[in-house]
Amino acid sequence: MQKTVSLSMKAERRRENIAGYLYMAPSLIFFLGFVIFPMGMCLFTSFFDYTMTDFTFSGFQNYARAFNDSIFTNHALINTIVIVLVSVPVVCLFSLWVATIIYKMRDFGTSFYRCVFYLPVVTGSVAVTVVWKWIFNNYTGVLNFIMKNMGGMLQDIGLMEKTMGTVFSGNWNWLGNPATALGCIIMILLTTSVGQPIVLYVSALSNVNHSLIEAAEVDGATNMQVFWRIKWPQIMPTTLYILVITTINSFQCFALIQLLTSGGPVNSTQTIMYYIYYNVFKMQDYGYGSAMGVILAVIIALFSAIQFKLAKTDNG
Amino acid sequence: MKKLLALVLCLLMVVPFAATAEDVTITLWTYPIGSWANESTVNEIIANFNAVHPEIKVNVQYLDYQSGDDQVTSAIEAKTTPDIIFEGPERLVANWGANGKMLDISDLWTEETAADIAAASPTMLATCTGADGKVYLYPLCMTTHCMVIDQAAFEAAGAMQYVNLETRTWTNEQFAKACEALVNAGYAIPGIVYCGGQGGDQGTRALAYNLYNATFTNDAKTEYTMNSEAGVKSLQQLVDWVNDGLLVSDPGIVAGDAIALFCNGTTQMSFCWNAALLETNKQTLADGVKPLAMAFPSEDGVPVLDGGVWGFGLFNNGDEAKVAAAKEFIKFVCDDAVQGPKSAYATGYFPVKASFGDIYTGTEKEGNADYAVFSPYFGGIYQTAPNWTVQRTEWWNLLQRIFAGGDVATEANVYAANVNVK
Amino acid sequence: MDNTINTKPIRKMKNKPQHGQDHSVQSKKGYFIVSVIVLVVIAILFIFPLYWIITGSFKTPQAVNARVPVWFPLQWTTVHYSKLFQRPAFQWLGNTVLICGLSMLLTCITASMGGYALAKKKFIGRAVIFSMFVCAMALPKQVILIPLLKEMAFLRLHNTLWAVILPTVGWPFGVFLMKQFSENIPGELLEAARIDGAGEVLTFTNIVFPMIKPGIGALAIFTFITTWNDYFLQLIMLNDTKVLSISLGIAKLQSEMSTDYGLIMAGAALGSVPIIAIFLVFQKFFTRGITMGAVKG
Repeated sequence: MQKTVSLSMKAERRRENIAGYLYMAPSLIFFLGFVIFPMGMCLFTSFFDYTMTDFTFSGFQNYARAFNDSIFTNHALINTIVIVLVSVPVVCLFSLWVATIIYKMRDFGTSFYRCVFYLPVVTGSVAVTVVWKWIFNNYTGVLNFIMKNMGGMLQDIGLMEKTMGTVFSGNWNWLGNPATALGCIIMILLTTSVGQPIVLYVSALSNVNHSLIEAAEVDGATNMQVFWRIKWPQIMPTTLYILVITTINSFQCFALIQLLTSGGPVNSTQTIMYYIYYNVFKMQDYGYGSAMGVILAVIIALFSAIQFKLAKTDNG
Repeated sequence: MKKLLALVLCLLMVVPFAATAEDVTITLWTYPIGSWANESTVNEIIANFNAVHPEIKVNVQYLDYQSGDDQVTSAIEAKTTPDIIFEGPERLVANWGANGKMLDISDLWTEETAADIAAASPTMLATCTGADGKVYLYPLCMTTHCMVIDQAAFEAAGAMQYVNLETRTWTNEQFAKACEALVNAGYAIPGIVYCGGQGGDQGTRALAYNLYNATFTNDAKTEYTMNSEAGVKSLQQLVDWVNDGLLVSDPGIVAGDAIALFCNGTTQMSFCWNAALLETNKQTLADGVKPLAMAFPSEDGVPVLDGGVWGFGLFNNGDEAKVAAAKEFIKFVCDDAVQGPKSAYATGYFPVKASFGDIYTGTEKEGNADYAVFSPYFGGIYQTAPNWTVQRTEWWNLLQRIFAGGDVATEANVYAANVNVK
Repeated sequence: MDNTINTKPIRKMKNKPQHGQDHSVQSKKGYFIVSVIVLVVIAILFIFPLYWIITGSFKTPQAVNARVPVWFPLQWTTVHYSKLFQRPAFQWLGNTVLICGLSMLLTCITASMGGYALAKKKFIGRAVIFSMFVCAMALPKQVILIPLLKEMAFLRLHNTLWAVILPTVGWPFGVFLMKQFSENIPGELLEAARIDGAGEVLTFTNIVFPMIKPGIGALAIFTFITTWNDYFLQLIMLNDTKVLSISLGIAKLQSEMSTDYGLIMAGAALGSVPIIAIFLVFQKFFTRGITMGAVKG
């Protein structure tokens, strides 16, 4: 009797193994073939002096070069981290705020706002950046146009002193000023990345256990208390997911910079992703680009690991 | 599930795979050079070609300056480069040619054609020849890059007195006075020194090196020399003008934006202009803007203008039949007595062959004939100097740094150090 | 510690007189109204680009490039569209639909099978494979483009639609998402099916598939939208006019020295209207889908 059980268990395990791998096979083939293999190649070529005409082993030279490259360390790395540190919390908080307001609306309201905030995602980065480029334009852009008119209005009604005139002069070069360029990029990045988090938060909030909230309200808890003590823990998994996805997206911010500033002015919008693109496709320095790519992947992995860890200790 | 599978299989069959070569099919990639960016124009040229050579099919792919280089880089790595490419020596000779990706096409330069080209431009053969002595380019057209002013605004501001209408030249002093007159007349931004990227950088280069007769490279084209005394002086002059409010510097825009601003009347001059740009920007000109092409100002009033040369090169794809067919195509487009002038006319630039003569007078592009006035100032092509791609990025970065307040001499030396390595 | 801080104010509130409650309801309402007003302003900011693209595509070239913004086209023109259709814009659109559709289909099939296996099948090496998928999600795509390019060239797939489709299908996100969804399938259900004698195939098609349908819907649209917008991969892999995609075609409308904004906007409008329509139609399905996966996170 016992023997047959163990036999059937063995057969069972074998069956599970075979079935498991058969199910895995299609995705695994694509994954290994078109993600893992090129990734390995990238790691491999990062140890080579690899250009259009050259392919010679150079050890860790590309890595050493990256850490001695002031554009990489002083601009690309720092700007990338600034983008991540600003955009990740802002995206999370903003989308959470929007979600808390719109999830209570009637069906139409919720759908409408969900759509609105998703629009920049579906419109596509090329089209959206063309418009933003015009909005920020120094001379004919709408932002300066509005600022100028607003400044004039404020002055007319005596709300503003003449000294504030420079801000509202309508001559602010948003993308051409090293002080504001990165801010503008982050601003556009935000509009293109809050769509998904809002959708997620709206549904997460609608799924929160309502009996708990009602009980708390009967006890006279304030809005804030209800939110932080009851809703927040329940939407924590969603928050973690949003954190990870937003972090990865912010690290890989590239198209905006390529289309708007080419990393300028004076490297103030240089990011790792753009610098990799520049070295690989403009300079045809494949080995160096690969090395920086490996560095970026390690950084992203570290950030994600930290987020996972934090979330786990929070939950556990 | 079965239905899904069947659907997938059907779709697999429908999706077109890469065309398998049957006859001689050659591929042509063209950058947007004048009307060569328009499908209808290019189709007409190919139809003319097929009337003579029906056995050769030509596939065309249109590149743009934003992503075209990335695409060629990818094609080189994937070994799917086209047979023919239409662009200038800075890419064909200095980049792809120097990297050994192009074919030597010196046989297209027969005694007859070489003499014809030399009659119009004696240095052309040297421009099309790489450092290794191989000829990578067969030119179709050339032009001088100039700048443009709004004649109407200049007249309104009383600034036309500083312009030599005959020669289209001016001195630094006249230029500064003209800008001053414009500013005094209420034109707040006479011109913008753009430096947001590499687009149209020939304009800012020529503007800078003309001021005090600096040279961009040494005569042998082996070294960049804007850190010379004259170069620094010229750059300093630009910075001074910007600080005095006669010009505006803008690291947020490139030439295309600057031209758009000129066309809508925001600025009264653009430092990027040439014969073809007149044609492509006609539609966006605001009412009352009257473009007048001008040479760049210089101390003595004798400018040295940047030039552009465009022509055909062949990628080394190892297929003899295609190479022969491609050469037939180039010969027809550039050398045919009837088609040659038409092909050049489509670019909006001037033919490189003396025998074609004036191709614009009495045509729709009558205005382009006007640009012949600049031909004597053509200073030759230095864009084939080594490290050219690096130089282009370093140049607009240099401008960004000096306009942001960096010391001109120091920054020019940094620039020179970055571009003259290797 | 935390708990005492937390409960104190609640207890305090309990003793407050009734009118205090009224006050809080009022301020609640006030906050909501102010928020909605702020939200409307922000929403305008989000709608504006699309409005500007669509109206811009109908403005005269002069109006597009005007010094003072032309808020609404006074003079309507289709000149940009006729220019756009000089190029094979509809063919690009068709190619894009083909690329997105195939990527979507293949991703859904492979990812739902893989995700199910990772969630419910206890095979050797499951943990390793799963962590590999998770790690790869952090990978910057641009980095692997050159090796990928070489690989496609070696397989003779460069310059075909497959060069874009295959890497998209291989991207680990789908498997990760579908694994999250498959976790929801009750084990008893699978057990029951097995006892009833259903084979693996039958179990998957009749039990697993219906259960993870919302997830597949989400993944489908998600893949569709990202593929639609992923112009850089397309730029590198496709270089024949016949296989161009619409977003690549739009990007190519910009030239170095004369940016024809009207033409770009016409292209952008043509490229975004179908995808917005798809989004609107599938919105319900879509939003329900991504949430379920994420909540499990």
